[in-house]
Amino acid sequence: MMATAVSEMISTKINPNVLPHLHIWEWHIPLYLFLGGLAGGLLVITSIMIVMKRQFGIGPQDVGNGCPCLALRIGAILSPALLGIGMLFLFLDLAHPLYVWAFYTTIQPTSPMSAGSWILIAFFPLAILQAMLVNRSQLRSFKIEPISKVIDWTEKHMTIVALANAHIGVGIGIYTGILLSFFSARPLWSSSILGMLFLVSGISSAAALMLLFAPKNEKPVYSMIDANAIWIELMTVGLFVLGGLTGSANSHGAMMHLITGDVNLAGMSYMFWFWGIFVISGLVVPLVVEFLEAAGVHIKFPNLAPVMVLCGGLILRFLIVFAGQSYHTFM
Amino acid sequence: MSNKKNYGMVIDTRVCVGCSACVYACKSENSTPEGYCRDWVVQETKGSFPKLTMENRSERCQHCDNAPCVTYCPTRASHYAEDGTVQINRSRCTGCKACIAACPYDARYVHPEGFVDKCSLCQHRTEKGLKTACVSICPTGSLNLVDFNDPNQEAQKLMNGKLVYRQKEHAGTEPSLYWISASNKPGA
Repeated sequence: MMATAVSEMISTKINPNVLPHLHIWEWHIPLYLFLGGLAGGLLVITSIMIVMKRQFGIGPQDVGNGCPCLALRIGAILSPALLGIGMLFLFLDLAHPLYVWAFYTTIQPTSPMSAGSWILIAFFPLAILQAMLVNRSQLRSFKIEPISKVIDWTEKHMTIVALANAHIGVGIGIYTGILLSFFSARPLWSSSILGMLFLVSGISSAAALMLLFAPKNEKPVYSMIDANAIWIELMTVGLFVLGGLTGSANSHGAMMHLITGDVNLAGMSYMFWFWGIFVISGLVVPLVVEFLEAAGVHIKFPNLAPVMVLCGGLILRFLIVFAGQSYHTFM
Repeated sequence: MSNKKNYGMVIDTRVCVGCSACVYACKSENSTPEGYCRDWVVQETKGSFPKLTMENRSERCQHCDNAPCVTYCPTRASHYAEDGTVQINRSRCTGCKACIAACPYDARYVHPEGFVDKCSLCQHRTEKGLKTACVSICPTGSLNLVDFNDPNQEAQKLMNGKLVYRQKEHAGTEPSLYWISASNKPGA
């Protein structure tokens, strides 16, 4: 019988949060990635609706004076608001928050975090203009001269503003994934499809959120957007998993660590969180429910599906951020 | 040839006894906070009994020529220094921790005072012509501070004819630390 080969390493390295595995990002970062994805998704959906309505006359009905529907108005406000909250978490995660200015004294083209810090700033002006634009009838009633002037300007350039916002929204959505996927030292994150996955997940979560507060007559539009986004997300998750499984030993091991992992996260294994909570209850069940709803079946709790999608989106961020850190470094 | 330095290390694991003097010299020289270390000692045992081999080696930041930490740093806090090392400018470090995630060698940590810290190859000493704290204290001469631009090619002389490796070369980081493998030992 052949003796079993051993390979044992004893190290005196003791640095906390680096060993036994990386533990540098806790709840702040996944929450920020989720809110960033939601903000990006809301911006994409509201922008596309504005362009569709203006250029093609397609989309939700106008509520007098060319003012768009309620969900669109709330969504446009929530987009910059949620991103602002997300950025607060990002700020709180910094080991030296008072040095945050250093991000804005340089542009580092090779650093996604540098690009991201600039995109985050670029996001606000146009997103806020768009939120003002869709709420113009309310804002005009305050009769504040500068605000009315800004709204007049935005109204003249509505299509351009909305088109720019659609791109910025996609940029933010992709950026939340790319932020992680550039780390070749972390095998689970090192997948370029992560940007796409976080973008579609952001769009489906945004559609679910709009579905929650949309009045009954507006719901079918968001239900349709959500069902489509979930469908694409399911495909993207499949590609992400396949890409990992068919990859090198590093990628394969990291993907198995996520999808079959027995590491405990809040009382449940990664495997259960991934398949049970994220895939089944965050994607498959809501997709079926929304499909049935669109087909005219009466659903007893219409808010359940969008809440499940939102929970799924949040859990996806937590799972990816945590599992990416708890798997060993690139070998 | 220019006078520009390009520092690195050649670590001879054949003579390393794993005494950890380098670790304590570094802690004392660089006032590393309690419970943290900039360098560490690894003991690796391989093979099948009774044919076992053991290698002791001192490890630290690899001062890569293509350093992912520098690539990823959003504020230029992590940067390439003139002497070929990778340094951190504490007054630009926000503690975003991207460099820690980017490092395939896990050589970095967050200093309790709110910046990322790692081996500086004792830049404050090498500027004055001194050797690093770990090199100065190493009792067996396992640690060698080398200048790859040195016209006398001391680094090459140390490594010639021996089995030498760098860690995780396939990560594409071009590390500046070389280890003379313990398998060069007679009988290994």
